[in-house]
Amino acid sequence: MVSRTTAQARTEPKPAPREWRRFKFPESLYKWAGLMAALLFLSYSIVYLNIPLERFFNMFGRVGTLITDRYYPPEMEYVTEPDYLSSVFDTIQMAYLGALFGMAAAIPLGWFGSYNMTPSRRFVYPFARFVAMCTRAVHETIWAILFVTILGFGMMAGVLALTMFCIGFAGKLFAEEIEAIDMGPVEAIRSTGASELAVMVYGVFPQVRVAFTGIGIYTWDVAFRAATVVGFFGAGGMGWYLKRNVLQIETTRVSAILVSIILLVLVSEAVSAWARARVAKAK
Amino acid sequence: MSILSVRDLRVRYSASGPEILKGISFDVEADDFFAIIGPSGAGKSTLIRCINRLVEPISGKITLYGTDVLSLNSRKLRRLRRDIGMIFQEFNLVDRMSVMDNVLSGRLGYVSNFTALFRLFSKEDIGSALSVLDRVGLSDHVDKRADQLSGGQRQRVGIARALMQNPKLLLLDEPTSSLDPKISREVMALIIEIAAEYKVPILCNIHDVQLALEFCNKIIGLQDGVKMFDGPTSKMNSKKLDEIYAMEVL
Amino acid sequence: MASASTTARNVDRILAARTKAKFGRSIIYAAVIAMAVFSIKTTIIDDTDWARLGSVANVLASAAEFLGVDWGLLPNLLEPAIETIMVATLGTLLGVVVCVPAIWFGALNITPFTPVTYPLARLMMTLSRSIHEIVWGLFFVAAVGLGALAGVLALAIRSVGFIAKMSAEAIEDLDPNPVEAIRAVGGSDFQVFIYAILPQVLPVIVGVVIFEWEINIRRSSILGLVGAGGLGLVFFRQLNTFNFPGVTTVILAILALILFGEIVSYYVRKAII
Repeated sequence: MVSRTTAQARTEPKPAPREWRRFKFPESLYKWAGLMAALLFLSYSIVYLNIPLERFFNMFGRVGTLITDRYYPPEMEYVTEPDYLSSVFDTIQMAYLGALFGMAAAIPLGWFGSYNMTPSRRFVYPFARFVAMCTRAVHETIWAILFVTILGFGMMAGVLALTMFCIGFAGKLFAEEIEAIDMGPVEAIRSTGASELAVMVYGVFPQVRVAFTGIGIYTWDVAFRAATVVGFFGAGGMGWYLKRNVLQIETTRVSAILVSIILLVLVSEAVSAWARARVAKAK
Repeated sequence: MSILSVRDLRVRYSASGPEILKGISFDVEADDFFAIIGPSGAGKSTLIRCINRLVEPISGKITLYGTDVLSLNSRKLRRLRRDIGMIFQEFNLVDRMSVMDNVLSGRLGYVSNFTALFRLFSKEDIGSALSVLDRVGLSDHVDKRADQLSGGQRQRVGIARALMQNPKLLLLDEPTSSLDPKISREVMALIIEIAAEYKVPILCNIHDVQLALEFCNKIIGLQDGVKMFDGPTSKMNSKKLDEIYAMEVL
Repeated sequence: MASASTTARNVDRILAARTKAKFGRSIIYAAVIAMAVFSIKTTIIDDTDWARLGSVANVLASAAEFLGVDWGLLPNLLEPAIETIMVATLGTLLGVVVCVPAIWFGALNITPFTPVTYPLARLMMTLSRSIHEIVWGLFFVAAVGLGALAGVLALAIRSVGFIAKMSAEAIEDLDPNPVEAIRAVGGSDFQVFIYAILPQVLPVIVGVVIFEWEINIRRSSILGLVGAGGLGLVFFRQLNTFNFPGVTTVILAILALILFGEIVSYYVRKAII
């Protein structure tokens, strides 16, 4: 069904015994009302947020001059300095640890938070779901700020922030994957008198291993993107260099850092896509 | 002397839902090949899953070798389950595991969590897995993955897994429904041979009446959660069958 | 039946094979762990100022400062919360608009001139996804000044990648028969798009947009950190005045907002799809 909102009031044909109209009384009215409400909300938001529309429309020229005048050319020498390169290396390590710790915690969380396998649907399941939701809902930069406040500047705060982020991210995906398994083997293993842990190891894990590996690689990829900015709030890695140069208005250096981030993310995305394809093929 | 007695068993999946089983009673003797027949939806699978409590009944009494099944706590229930082998309609093998690991999983009720986690099965377990696989005719397929086998072979792996438990009772849940008629007959013949060798009674729910009449010595007929027939196979006749399957004709 | 000695030999063979398989796997695990240990050493042990951190009790004490809720802050949170939702909504909608060319160019079966337009669209999607919203926020604050507009633009650009990628994939997977049918009655390219392509992919696109909207609430809640308004700004202010229970309150408000978003998207999804 297409919901079309073009004007209906074309020339009405003479009333024929068999009439068909696109406008059908209540449904169409709801559609129109919904559309009007959405438009109203939209315009009200623009007013409420004090969005200067004229700035929006002449922004393109300004963005152009901004880039050509200040951000171009990127000072690429800056990002090839050993200091910066070592921060790139730190960032990769932070993402690795964050993803690893996060997944270690996400596996039990996925188990407890999957409706079909959870030990208790009344208590453990909602609790695990809630933990996954909270860790995911709080943005990684907020986690970074919190850990920096508690633990001080440094990469430990970054690793922990990424860990929290990965717990929710991977935990939700793991749980969904476990919910999609075939319950037949689980029933069979259970009927041999196996403990719940053995049921997980023999009945569930072989079914989800490939998917979990794929999710794991993907989690690392996402964690790396997040790791590039946690340093912005003092949690170590490349983000710190970004912040310093933004504050010192070293715009050509900022653009060089951005270029380096884009390149690194492209590489990590390519590696992750390649690894996931390989895992999926190996099965 | 009956080894399994079921009394007035009632099952309901949700508090407000309909009763799936409406007071079923029957007895299984030590040398029985006991069939449960009936149209689909009659409650056959539910009944068989009550015996090892994969389904929890709301009331009734099940006694297996003198143990009150429904009163067991979860630890004792696992002990009980390892004495009951189960063979499934869809085989319920873990496709991505080898045949060997699938068969070894029948020992899971006997080993510790640590053994299970690192798959450290003992020499004896592997030895008995090999001889069981040999018995069901799969000694050439030990290292294959379960999803590389044909349907009949997969069901043989399922049988081997159940035998690994040293069962005192075998539950068969439509063991032949996913197989073609020729293979079905072979599998049933294998099961009946093995039951005689291991001296283990069988409770089997089966859709194919011909197979039931051919292989089983006792039959109960279910219709819509109610027992319609209970007796030796010789007492079954076409009129009673028509009664049991009356609903399905519609 | 095999004889006892063959069985024994087979058992040994199988045990050896299982040990070998386990050994192969444990090499991978060992590599993962070795890399983790090395990373822990450089990122955590060497990089942390342990003297300043103090004892576990100190750390727990500073963490405990976050316990508690500053109820007095609640009335001041309503307006930023509304702002956050609005920025997320506008950003998503603007993102959908920006997406249109990216989807058109990025679906292999409808892209107008494959060697140029397809890589262009892919580049757009990758740029959008690879740069973090904080960086986009900084960029647009520099371009249009402080305020909600920068946030809306940042979210719009950040949303393009995911929406366009999923939608382009949906278009690539669509059933070609209706397209042929509309072509057969003499429809133009545009008519084909309206009558044959859009109806097929609309549910997917709507689902993706709602999903992205949910994520954008999460993102817009922190854009205040770089000057784009909303709850992030309040968060920052509470932190700078060391009002730690206030920080907790803001985080709880963000959670509530995201829960709200999840509920809304659940019902919208049910109503539309």
